[in-house]
Amino acid sequence: MGSIRRSSLLCALVAISVAGLAAQGKYKVSRTADGQPDLQGYWTNLTYTPFERPKELANKPFYTEKEAIEAFNKAVEGSENQVVHYVNTDFGATPVQTGAKPNLRTSLVIDPADGRIPSMTPEAQKREAARVAEQRSAGPLARTWRDDRGTVWCVFHDRAVPAVTAPYGSNYQIVQSKDYVVMIYEWNSERRVIPLTGQPHGAVPLYAGDSRGHWEGDTLVVDTTNFNPKRTFMGSPGTPPAVSVTPTFHLTERFTRTADDTIVHTYTVEDPATWTRPWTVEMPLHRIKGPQLEYACNENNVDAFTTLRNARAQEAGKLAPPDRVRNVEDPKATVLEREEKK
Amino acid sequence: MRATLCAVVLATALVSAQTTYKPPRTAGGQPDLNGFWQALNTANWDLEAHEAAAGPVLQLGAAYAVPPGSGVVVDGPIPYKPDALAMKKKYAANALREDAEVKCYLPGVPRVMYMPYPVQIVQSTDMIVMMSEFASAIRTVYMNVATPPPADTWMGWSVGKWDGDTLVIDSKGFMGGTVGALDDEGTVHVRFLDRAGNYHTEGLHVVERIRRTDADHLSYQATIEDPNVYTRPWTISMPLYRRVEPNMQLGDFKCEEFVGDLVYGKYQKK
Repeated sequence: MGSIRRSSLLCALVAISVAGLAAQGKYKVSRTADGQPDLQGYWTNLTYTPFERPKELANKPFYTEKEAIEAFNKAVEGSENQVVHYVNTDFGATPVQTGAKPNLRTSLVIDPADGRIPSMTPEAQKREAARVAEQRSAGPLARTWRDDRGTVWCVFHDRAVPAVTAPYGSNYQIVQSKDYVVMIYEWNSERRVIPLTGQPHGAVPLYAGDSRGHWEGDTLVVDTTNFNPKRTFMGSPGTPPAVSVTPTFHLTERFTRTADDTIVHTYTVEDPATWTRPWTVEMPLHRIKGPQLEYACNENNVDAFTTLRNARAQEAGKLAPPDRVRNVEDPKATVLEREEKK
Repeated sequence: MRATLCAVVLATALVSAQTTYKPPRTAGGQPDLNGFWQALNTANWDLEAHEAAAGPVLQLGAAYAVPPGSGVVVDGPIPYKPDALAMKKKYAANALREDAEVKCYLPGVPRVMYMPYPVQIVQSTDMIVMMSEFASAIRTVYMNVATPPPADTWMGWSVGKWDGDTLVIDSKGFMGGTVGALDDEGTVHVRFLDRAGNYHTEGLHVVERIRRTDADHLSYQATIEDPNVYTRPWTISMPLYRRVEPNMQLGDFKCEEFVGDLVYGKYQKK
């Protein structure tokens, strides 16, 4: 079970330069048959760069190239020691194994200038506190499949858009036609279909929001509104806690291919119902090898069955909470622990 | 018999149109299949000819009854092996539990193409993406590659090539079901091709032929092969219609939301 593992795979120290990020301006992006800048292929935004800037780097938005590589290698090394149920390195899925690269930026948030998300409005703080209190009042055990208490919720994977830091699987397949850009996120095979047709925003909310795109020079600009308010934003490891996505949530993104293996992706989040001012993130996309396979989250979702079944068994006193079980011989070991022993 | 003749006549009509219509091309020079397409038939209820019938849930009355259809199988009846035909009848009687559509599982190929939901085709030169509204299902068709399926998947591994103006897609590498699930409610033993219990296993191999017949129609044919189930390959054929509404776009039909209480109900806190 939860164990500390070191993997030699991660010891391959990175000697890559950060030239991809510095090349902006010189690179001439190739074109699709339709004459549009070609963003197609497979990309990852996995990164070791913190979402918000650490306080000690408040006045240092950029590393030198040498510092960036050192910070990257240190983060890779630091991520070797994890207490986890399974070890991501065994699946070749960690950022460094997937294709993450050093970043000259010291945080993904680039505006405000201190690299930190602006404060929430007093109303939003109250709203979010009430939402969290309601969740906590329900206790630690999953009641239904709707509860995000360890069950795998297959309806929507909110890291797909807006993009935030993720432990693995944060990869995109981009396909373009004359009138559409399709972005398929590996996790939950979430897709965004971005019309370039100039058609007005639709009337019905979408989990990934209702996106409209156009080209400004070689940059794809995407305007997204009408997010489904049943979802939240952030709350991943490495990001601030989740916040509600309200009807006034507005996302403006820019995708610019700055090198053969790099797309610079920036986005500005604006929601007067939540934050005191708009704020902006830069998350580079690095080219990776395809293909990207189907995620099939809902098909035989063993995790949801197990979580709910174990939750009911814990309520009935037939199982110990997982973190108290150290020995799979324990008759109160969880179903998964017993399965693993077989 | 009559259904077979109808289907053959239909297929022939579609073929004869081939000579007269020249589809517009993409900038890459390929026949342009971009758009939103949808079947307008009862194939998802039953691929074979069938009379109207009551639906599976009494309370839903006429609203969810089965509409009649003359069938889309060109060379039917579906050539089941004798034991497979017996299984089909068994699965059909247990359709509410065995049909992946009920559980919002990915519908696979060819079923995704004739479910009563739009399919958007976004066509690039080396890749064609086909996206259904149902369960946000996606297929990527990789053009002119020889790579075998890297893993079995619900939507399969699809490789495409152009045969004149016809897109020919060869698909295999399909999942056959979810046997081994921790719970019966999550289990489907085979993959339904329709709600009537016509089914395939992981032995499925599908060859589709898709061609524009005019501005707003595709001819869609799929030859279905599975030595675990059928004595020979067999073919379905139907038109797909363009959704011509202005500002058409795919909505969210993330149906996991609608089946969670059904599938996990037994283990939920009452």
